[in-house]
Amino acid sequence: MNRPLALLGATTLAVAALLTGFATPAAAAETAVAVASKMFTESVVLGEVLKQALEATGLRQVEHKAELGGTRVLFDGLAAGELDAYVEYTGTLREEIFSGEDVATDRMLADALAERGILMSAPLGFNNPYAIAVLRETAQRLNLERVSDLREHPELRVGLSNEFLQRGDGWPALRAAYRLPQRAVEGMDHNLAYLRLRAGEVDLIDAYATDAELSRDDMVVLEDDLAHFPRYDSVVLFREATADAEPRLAAAIDSLVGKISTQRMAAMNAEVKFDGKTEAEVAAEFLADELGVSRSTPLPKQTVAAAIARRTWQHLGLVLGSLLPAITVAIPLGIVAAKSPAIGQVILAAVGIVQTIPSLALLALLMTAAIRLEIKTLGEWSPAALGALFLYSLLPIVRNTAAGFSGIAPQLRESAEALGLSPAYRLRRIELPLAAPMILAGVKTAAVMNIGFAALGALIGAGGYGQPIMTGIRLNNIGIILQGAIPAAVLAIVVQLGFELAEKRLVAPALRQAA
Amino acid sequence: MFRVERLTKRFANGAGAGPLTLQLPRGSTYALIGPSGCGKSTFLRLLNGLLTPDEGTVEFDGQRLTPANLAAIRQRIGYVIQDGGLFPHLSARGNVSLQAEFLGWSAQRIAARMAELRELVKLPDDLLDREPARLSGGQRQRVSLMRALMLDPAALLLDEPLGALDPMIRAELQDDLQRIFAELEKTVVLVTHDLAEASHFSRDILLMDDGRVVQRGSLRDLTRQPANEFVERFVTAQRTLHAEAPA
Repeated sequence: MNRPLALLGATTLAVAALLTGFATPAAAAETAVAVASKMFTESVVLGEVLKQALEATGLRQVEHKAELGGTRVLFDGLAAGELDAYVEYTGTLREEIFSGEDVATDRMLADALAERGILMSAPLGFNNPYAIAVLRETAQRLNLERVSDLREHPELRVGLSNEFLQRGDGWPALRAAYRLPQRAVEGMDHNLAYLRLRAGEVDLIDAYATDAELSRDDMVVLEDDLAHFPRYDSVVLFREATADAEPRLAAAIDSLVGKISTQRMAAMNAEVKFDGKTEAEVAAEFLADELGVSRSTPLPKQTVAAAIARRTWQHLGLVLGSLLPAITVAIPLGIVAAKSPAIGQVILAAVGIVQTIPSLALLALLMTAAIRLEIKTLGEWSPAALGALFLYSLLPIVRNTAAGFSGIAPQLRESAEALGLSPAYRLRRIELPLAAPMILAGVKTAAVMNIGFAALGALIGAGGYGQPIMTGIRLNNIGIILQGAIPAAVLAIVVQLGFELAEKRLVAPALRQAA
Repeated sequence: MFRVERLTKRFANGAGAGPLTLQLPRGSTYALIGPSGCGKSTFLRLLNGLLTPDEGTVEFDGQRLTPANLAAIRQRIGYVIQDGGLFPHLSARGNVSLQAEFLGWSAQRIAARMAELRELVKLPDDLLDREPARLSGGQRQRVSLMRALMLDPAALLLDEPLGALDPMIRAELQDDLQRIFAELEKTVVLVTHDLAEASHFSRDILLMDDGRVVQRGSLRDLTRQPANEFVERFVTAQRTLHAEAPA
């Protein structure tokens, strides 16, 4: 290989590494496997089961990207090769991934997946369809056993998760299939539904068959006597390419097939949700019971302080990684906007529109774009998360820069012009320093906003303070939520103070009061 | 030094200056005077290209003002406005040395020129390290004058340089300015609305109305031989003003 080519190659690699945020692990001697889970307890437990089962085969580099933002995020990550395996439900695949396609049988589903280089395991055992739950006391009083029995009681109040209200196989279809007469229907967060059911505010709710709450005695699931709900068999999806390279992947997955019963799954969910065990502990116990696997190494325990430090690092990475590029782009844009009002209106309208896109939608748009461009979408330094934060940072900085420049008093502008300096020199010595207080205020707004928005990074595995907040909401545990919320607030305050210091350095004393 | 031909600049509201055709020869002090809105400031700002004329031309020292030579010409024309136009983020010294720094003067050369100018405008050395906000109005005008003179320009344009000052300081600065103009032998164009001040500095007064020069001459000419009724009224009004409130 000749020298310039080698240099080019090395540079390309370095740039690629930078662009992908050092995605490639240091040692590539052994296959690194990434498993993932969605943002609900059962998925996280199954992610841990998968991870530990893989580790039991001797694989050492297994990463669990826990609590990602949804089916699309995981499935696309798997298809793109950023993930190697995760546990999915056949019903979800039919409904969300292959909706409109004919994948009625599991065979057809497997074929459709294989076209995308994805393999599907045999069912792990439990079927987790939607279910209709009522309080045991209500069921006994009204003699309810089957969903059909609801026809006799139009007065019952229905509380449904928002997702169930809208899904193709959700409430509209259920009501049509059973000709249900209930009219009092409201949507709510699934985690709140159980609380409201117990409080007597609603009479029946939708549930998952393995919900931790259903393992308690006070509730019963009504039998789906018309077999309306499709099956939600749990299966492992994994990449064919990884399986070819690492035979232990398929072996580990095979060892789990048929091993997880509905009762066991509900019990594991309850242990996490009600008994305060970690998902890793529950998964380890399961593997010990069912597969006779005992861990050679103890489960890694992380102190709260270490976890906060790691998340602070991730969070700062998101904030700074988006803010610094935003500053370098937004300040020139703001200057252009101030100097040429016509272009300025276009620029301000554009960054203003970006600001109005809901954060989740923006994240989803950028994920789609990242997948198209075949760049990394998940994990730390996710370009999609950085991109979203970058775009949100633009408006306050552009607007304040433009305002700072437009706000320079006409007589000062004129005096500067009359001196016969070059535009660049005038910009550097006169205009930028005069606009500095406003620009700095814009950057400060963007930074503080970013600290809040960066919590969304948790949806795509970028970590940060959003992680414990999401976990805490999932587990209904305020302590865990505060592990994210308090550092985020502290960080916002520290950043405020930091900007006050920066102001002392960057803004001339005479201008400070104006800011 | 300045030669303007059919020079016209009108704003949307009809105010402005021109058409003007006249010459301001080298080495004298000229006073532009007239009521508010008569176009005197507009005319001044056309002379150093701060405003682009709708029609006509400005020549400075034989060179017609074009976008290409504007920066170079501006370095040869000092400009002082009411209340100084000093940059609030820079010290007085920083304001004065800005152009010289841009042109890459050495620190010694800047310091030497600064000392000369400080002497000329009678400004104590320690004040140079202050920001404009910590200087009095009169001190600010002295600093502003230093800034305008830093590159030893051939011409000096002043727009109501004493307008924002109280009477005592105004009188003192007026005398100093007159001395400086006489010492430096520069071409000075000064805008004022006060006939007494105009005559104090200049024997070549240009009285303007509605954008045009209605009469040009000494105070004596304006008083004894007013060109029209407007000149007569303007001179009378100024007299009355001074009789009532001698300054």
